[in-house]
Amino acid sequence: MDEVKAVDVKIFPYRLLKPETTEKILNQVMELEGILRVLINGESLPKLINYGPAKGLEVNHQDRKVIKVKDKEIELLVSVGEIIITVDHEKLNSFVEELEKILEDSLNFKYDISVGVFTKTKTTVSDYLKYGSGFEESINPKVIGMVDPNSKSSETVKFIGD
Amino acid sequence: MVYEAQYAPGETKIAENRRRHINPSHELEKMRNVADEDVVKLLGHKNPGEGYKTVHPPLDEMDFEEDAMKDLVEPIDGAKDGIRVRYVQFADSMYNAPAQPYDRARTYLWRFRGVDTGTLSGRQVVEMRESDLEAMSKSLIETELFDPAKTGLRGATVHGHSLRLDEDGLMFDALQRYVYNKETGHVNYVKDQVGKPLDEPVDVGEPLDEDHLKDITTIYRSENVGLREDKELIEVVETIHAARTDGGFGLGVFKDDLRCKLGDKNER
Repeated sequence: MDEVKAVDVKIFPYRLLKPETTEKILNQVMELEGILRVLINGESLPKLINYGPAKGLEVNHQDRKVIKVKDKEIELLVSVGEIIITVDHEKLNSFVEELEKILEDSLNFKYDISVGVFTKTKTTVSDYLKYGSGFEESINPKVIGMVDPNSKSSETVKFIGD
Repeated sequence: MVYEAQYAPGETKIAENRRRHINPSHELEKMRNVADEDVVKLLGHKNPGEGYKTVHPPLDEMDFEEDAMKDLVEPIDGAKDGIRVRYVQFADSMYNAPAQPYDRARTYLWRFRGVDTGTLSGRQVVEMRESDLEAMSKSLIETELFDPAKTGLRGATVHGHSLRLDEDGLMFDALQRYVYNKETGHVNYVKDQVGKPLDEPVDVGEPLDEDHLKDITTIYRSENVGLREDKELIEVVETIHAARTDGGFGLGVFKDDLRCKLGDKNER
């Protein structure tokens, strides 16, 4: 695979986003050119209560919802607090301009947009622990560094588009 | 010499708010009404209308060895009846919640009898005889110490006090014990303090205005009133710091003692 020069753009809203807002932003963002991958971070929302006298009961948090991005269903496992988008370096300027317009229209509170490196760029020990040595040959390099070694990739990584 | 309690140091409105909370002669402003039955439901220790469980017979019926302390201290009602001890716990958002754990601890100890309270970074737990606890919880929820959006009644899984608020201005709660009702503009509790669903939502009223919260909060925050702006408070903190450093290590004493032992005649 050809090497692509990429850079991360981080959206940091001053409020935790509702699934509807996240869906709206993501759908608009996914239309923009130059996107390589999108990482959604936030506070984890448990499915079941895992501590205390109510242990085992369903939480039914309104923010843990299935959203549709480009007709693909994604289950949000977190209350969205941060969106990191990896963008092709050549398209960066136009991307950020467009992104600002989208956020300006969809959010009625402050937010920060920062450009930098916010994801891992190299394979680390955690990756070897999760996938075993020599795994780089058999998986999509875009996935490296995207997930927590304790989580299941099938739940947290979705391939959308080309 | 008669000392007058100062309750909390400081010359800013934040310090003034802390003194208002702590000072038992100041009557806390009542902001909302929550029915007794609803408080019982929120606490989740027993069903509304159910009798209190007891852990010992009423004190009047018990034989004690003679103890002057027992004559001196009047037991609270729950203790007299032998009612068991239960708890309530509040979490306060750093986004200008009216109260915060240390303020709560001091408030509880000044205003209520028979409390056993514990302070943690974002939450304050208090244990008490159940009947008295219910009365106390009611007054804590109904008065200015509580804001439906920035204060949470959380027995377990309390995480959220230091996180950003959600889009409705509510403090993050992984168990979503309370939700914002867009139609009424009120916050409704749909679960009790540990996360067990309630049969009917409990309305705790409208969230307070953010600007109003800035006026009544007891939290120093750079975008409102910063800690460094309060000269008197800084002076007190520095005095305590210096006294603890010197007193804790006994530096002065140690130095003089060592010199003396080393044969320095000029020192004590």
